[in-house]
Amino acid sequence: MFYTIIEQVVNGIVSGSVYAIVAVGMTMIFGVLRAINFAHGEYYMLGTFGAWFAIEYFDLPYPVAIVIGVVATAVIAVVVGNFVMQRIVGAPAEAGVLATLGVALILQNTVILVFGGSYKFFSGGYIEPVTLFGFTLAEQRILIIIVGLIVFVGLELMVTYSRMGKAMRAVSQNIECCAVVGIDVRNIALWTFILGAGLAALSGVLTAPVNVSVYGGMGELITFKTLPIIIMGGLGNVRGTFVAAMILGIAESLVATYVGLQFRDTVGFATLMLVLMWRPHGLFSAQARF
Amino acid sequence: MTIELSRRGFCIGTALIGLQTVSSSAFARSEDGTVKLGLVAPMSGPNARYGAFSLRGAQMAAKEINGAGGIGGRKINILAGDSQGTPVEGVSATRRLIDQDQVDFIIGDVSSSVTLAMQPVAEDAGVLLLNAASSNPKITYKAGVGGFKWTYRNYPTDENRALIVLQYAAEKKGFTKYAVLSVDSDYGRAAIEFTKKYLPRFKSQILTEDYYKEGEVDFRSVLSKIRDSGAQAIIMYGNADSTPIVGRQMMEVGIAGKIPLIGNAEFNTEKTIKAAPKALEGAIEAAAWLPAYESEKSKAFVDKFTAEYREAPNNHAYVHWETTHLLAKAIEQAQSIDRDKVRAALSKIHYASAVGEVTFDDHNQARLPMILLEIENGKPAIKGAYSAEIDYPK
Repeated sequence: MFYTIIEQVVNGIVSGSVYAIVAVGMTMIFGVLRAINFAHGEYYMLGTFGAWFAIEYFDLPYPVAIVIGVVATAVIAVVVGNFVMQRIVGAPAEAGVLATLGVALILQNTVILVFGGSYKFFSGGYIEPVTLFGFTLAEQRILIIIVGLIVFVGLELMVTYSRMGKAMRAVSQNIECCAVVGIDVRNIALWTFILGAGLAALSGVLTAPVNVSVYGGMGELITFKTLPIIIMGGLGNVRGTFVAAMILGIAESLVATYVGLQFRDTVGFATLMLVLMWRPHGLFSAQARF
Repeated sequence: MTIELSRRGFCIGTALIGLQTVSSSAFARSEDGTVKLGLVAPMSGPNARYGAFSLRGAQMAAKEINGAGGIGGRKINILAGDSQGTPVEGVSATRRLIDQDQVDFIIGDVSSSVTLAMQPVAEDAGVLLLNAASSNPKITYKAGVGGFKWTYRNYPTDENRALIVLQYAAEKKGFTKYAVLSVDSDYGRAAIEFTKKYLPRFKSQILTEDYYKEGEVDFRSVLSKIRDSGAQAIIMYGNADSTPIVGRQMMEVGIAGKIPLIGNAEFNTEKTIKAAPKALEGAIEAAAWLPAYESEKSKAFVDKFTAEYREAPNNHAYVHWETTHLLAKAIEQAQSIDRDKVRAALSKIHYASAVGEVTFDDHNQARLPMILLEIENGKPAIKGAYSAEIDYPK
C-alpha cells in the first residue's frame, strides 16, 4: 500500500518534470509578451520531429538528434518571433490569442503536409529499465528528471543574476519604463520567445523515446496540459510553475491509480477551476501581477 | 417571384421523379439476363482505401464467376455506390442503386454506422442487403427474428471477437483474472461490455478497469496498478497507435512477458512488435482474416489478387470477394434470381469459405470462425480458427 503510493508519486514526478520544462517556457513568454502562446505545444512537436528526422533519414545518434531538434525549432522560432511574436508586444490580448492560434494551425498542418498524418515510430533514446531504490524506471526518465532540475536551476540563476534575465523581469513589470531606461523590449521579447520554444523542443525530444509515437497533432495535448499549470503557478512565475507542474503530475498519477485512467485528464482542469475561483493570481503569489 | 419559380420547379421535379420511379418499376428487374449486384462502400473520403479494396475484391469474384459461365448462364454485373463512410451518403447511394439501377442484391457497407442506416432502406424495398465487413453486433441483433428480414451479415461481430478471445484465454491459457485497459470510445467500451457478458461462462473476473483517451502517452500509473492487482492478462481493445507506447511502458514497470495483452489493437504488426518485443510476447489477437492464413483457398486468393492488382489484399478485399462468391452460391442453389428464393437459400446455405464453413443463425448472422494469433518469439503465429455461439439479448 505504502509502496504503491511512493511509486505513484515517483511516476508523478517523472511526468511533472516533462510538464515543467514545457510550461516554464510558456510562462516566461507570457511574462514578457502578455500573451498565452497557444502554439507552445507545436514547438514541442517540432523538436520531436526534428530529432525523428535526424535519426530516421540520417541515422544520427540520439544525443546529436537532441541538438538538431532543439536548434531546428529555435530557427523556426526566430522566424515566427520576428514576423509574429514581436508584433504582439503592447497589442491587445485578442491579437495574441489569434496570432498564436494561427501559428499553431500553420505549424501543425505544415508538418502533416510534409510528413503525412500517420504516426511515426521514434527509435532513439535509452529505454532500458533500471532499478533505483526498488523502483524500475527507464533510463530516459531519469535523464528527464535530471535535465528538468538543471533547466530550473539554470533559469533561476539566469533570471536572478544575468543582464538578460534582469531585463526579462523588467519587461514583464513595465514595458514603458524599460523603453525609457534603454532596454530593447522587442529584442528581449524575441529572445524570451526563442528560449521558451527551445525548451519546449527539448522537452519533446527528451520524452519521445518513452512516448514512442510522433505525429503532427501531438502538440495540442501538451498545450492544454500546460495551460492549467502556468495559471496555477501564477502567470510568469518560474518557481511557481515548477511546483505546480509537480503537483499536477503527482495528482494525475494518484487519480489514475485510485480512480481510473479515464479521469486523469480532468485533474488539470478541475484544479484550474478551483484556482481560478479562489486564487486567480496563482498558488504562490499574494496578489495578481497582471 | 423567384420563390414561386423555384417552388414550381420543385413540384414539377418531384412529380417527374415520382413518375419515373413508378414507370421504371413497372419493368421487371434484370430483364437483360444479368444479376445486378450493388456494392455500397466508401469510395471517397478518409476510408476510400477500404472502399477500393472492397470493390476490387468483389470485382475479382465477379470476373471469376463470369469467366466460369456465370450463375446458371447469368453474368454478375457490379454497380458501385459511394457511401463516403457517412450514413447520409450511404442511404442515398443505396436508394440510387435500388430506384435507378434496379439492383437485385446489395453488398455493403464497411462502416457499421452506415450499414445500420441502410438496413431500413433495404427492408422497405425488399432488397437483400448482405453485409460483408461491419462489426457492430446491433446490425444482426435487429435482423432475422430480430426484425429486418432482408439483412444478412457474413462477418464476425465485435461480440464474436470478445467472446472468442476470452474463450481462448480461458481454455488454452487457463486465465481467470483480467485487467482492462481499452480505448475510451464506443468500440473500446462496447468490446468490454461484451467481454463482461461472457465472464460467468468462463468463471472469470475483471480486477481493474481503465480506459485511455486517444493520444494518451502516460500509462505508467495504470500499468503499475495492474502489476499489483494480480491480473493474468490485460484485455485491450484499442488504437493501433497506442499499443507501442503501452508496450514500452510495460517493459518499464516490469510486466512485459509476464502479463500478456489480449484483444485487438494491432499486436501482430511488425512495427508494434519491434517497438516492444518483450511486452508483445504472448499477446493474443483475433482477426476475421489475414493474408498469412494457411488454407489452400486463402493462399490462392492472395496470389491471384496480388497478380491482378499488384498489391497484397487486405481484410476488406477478402471479405467482399468471399461474400460475392457466397451470394452467387445462394443464387445458384435458389435456381432463380427471385429475391425470396435467394433469401431462403441463403438461410439454409452451407458454404465452404477460406476460413471454414459458413451457415447463418436465426438472426441472419453468419456463424464464422475467427483466426487466433499469438505472438511467439517475436513473430505472429496462427493458432487456428475458432468459433463460439453468442447469446442474443432477449
